[in-house]
Amino acid sequence: MEDALLSVKEVSKHFGGVYAVNGVNLDINHGGIYGLVGPNGSGKTTLFNTILGLHKPDQGEIYFKDECISNLAPHKIYERGLVNAFQIPRLFYSLSVMDNMLVAARGQEGDRLFNSLFLRSRWQEQEKGLIEQALDILELVELEPWALTPAAELSGGQRKLLEVARGLMAKPTLLLLDEPAAGINPVLGKRIFQKLEDFSHNGIVFFIVEHRLEILFEFASWVYVMDKGKVVIAGQPQAIIDNPAFYAIYLGEE
Amino acid sequence: MDPLLYVLDLVVFIGIFSIVALSLNLEFGFAGLANFGKVAFFLIGAYTYALLSQTGIPFYLCLTASAFVSAIFGLLISLPALRLRADYLAIAILAFGEILRLIVKSEDWLAGGDWGVSVAPAISIAGASHRVDALVNIGLVYFCLFICFLVVQLLANSPYGRAMRAIREDEVAAEALGKDRTKFKAQALMLGSAMAGIAGALYVQYLHCVLPGMFMPMITFTVWIMVLVGGPGNNWGVLLGAALVQIIERGTNIILSSILSDLQYIAFGILIIIVLLWRPQGLLKESKIGEKALRLAHNGRRATKRKGS
Repeated sequence: MEDALLSVKEVSKHFGGVYAVNGVNLDINHGGIYGLVGPNGSGKTTLFNTILGLHKPDQGEIYFKDECISNLAPHKIYERGLVNAFQIPRLFYSLSVMDNMLVAARGQEGDRLFNSLFLRSRWQEQEKGLIEQALDILELVELEPWALTPAAELSGGQRKLLEVARGLMAKPTLLLLDEPAAGINPVLGKRIFQKLEDFSHNGIVFFIVEHRLEILFEFASWVYVMDKGKVVIAGQPQAIIDNPAFYAIYLGEE
Repeated sequence: MDPLLYVLDLVVFIGIFSIVALSLNLEFGFAGLANFGKVAFFLIGAYTYALLSQTGIPFYLCLTASAFVSAIFGLLISLPALRLRADYLAIAILAFGEILRLIVKSEDWLAGGDWGVSVAPAISIAGASHRVDALVNIGLVYFCLFICFLVVQLLANSPYGRAMRAIREDEVAAEALGKDRTKFKAQALMLGSAMAGIAGALYVQYLHCVLPGMFMPMITFTVWIMVLVGGPGNNWGVLLGAALVQIIERGTNIILSSILSDLQYIAFGILIIIVLLWRPQGLLKESKIGEKALRLAHNGRRATKRKGS
């Protein structure tokens, strides 16, 4: 009976006495780019981490594809196609860019101890396809020339791009992106969003936290605004822009 | 003294400790687990072999059982230990090794307590000289080493090894990228312990006896030196480290009298300082994963692109 792809119901998460997320309800439907905005400390990243299973919610439930995922381990949530790119890149820095990409692929045969030793031809075949797929994505984010360099040698912006690319590598159903355009030059930032839009036409749904509102509002189809741990406004970008309450929250204007 | 026998003996020890060092490389070099209780699994393998071989079971079954029992202990210790942070894991597992040693030392009924028990050699040829005996052991030890090396090397260059390295780099990120970190770590500990168990069995059957005093914590640290000097994450480097450390250890035994054997530790200390100063990553750098295939795919794509443009 649930229609939404992701459904967050009355979710709360507090640290000590502080409610970082306080009774949030929101739905992400199939198709499109969803935005999540709000001032710093309003609970956006905590909400993301709770959805991903990195934090257990204190209250409420989270449904993904009509299945309750609030108590699943992060790796199980990932295998179901709910994937994330961290706000501050958490790359595997001594591994090459390519290996960072390949780690992220879902459903790898060679991830099992037995297969990796005794069914080598099985995962080697799969690996060829994954390498091609990874190179395709790296080309999109203009990291292909660095495929064999260790991730530690990338610049700050490139690390950010690799974090997003790694998320795409999983062929997710829903990809949560935490500030994908932060620290990236405006032209490339916009180009990333254009790429994401292409991917969204191919069926990946995006849920994006972004402070670069001019870019986000151009591409998002629906935006949630958070303040002090609650979702206070939701609507289409134009409606949000026209809402004076939004400015009060975001810019602190009376 | 027979110099040739001395060299053959050294070669046997290098082989045995290479197996232990490889097992630590699997756990620490690839999966990032600071196992400071390596000697515990070495001990378990050794005592399993010693006790079983007394009942007349053929040596290859005893050897397999040593690996198996050690692996089970590796899995058991991983259940509580993997919940701990790296530094606490190190302390807990270090204590585990000492506890085991004290148990076999004080429980006389088990394996002779402090006096130990004698262990029959795996393969004994009637009337063979010590040299031949050492040669037979070289064959046996290096066969086991070859298999262990193959396993670790194949794992390291597979998606499994990639996932282990990812967990070593950032376990939260790896978990968020679909890797079940508990599973990977438990399996690494199991496999590493099995290998250490095999090495322990080979050790006692070569020395023909098993004593609690053979399993001092220093063994663990010697193996750590082998891995750190050779290069964590590089199996060839670890073999090199094992050979180097064994040569220093045995070499100082000849040059210095037994009274001065503490000088060994000074030699190891100097070795570690020199290596950490000049090559902090170890003598050989961490091996890359399946580089060749990637380079081929990468270059192939560039070539077709150039043609296309």
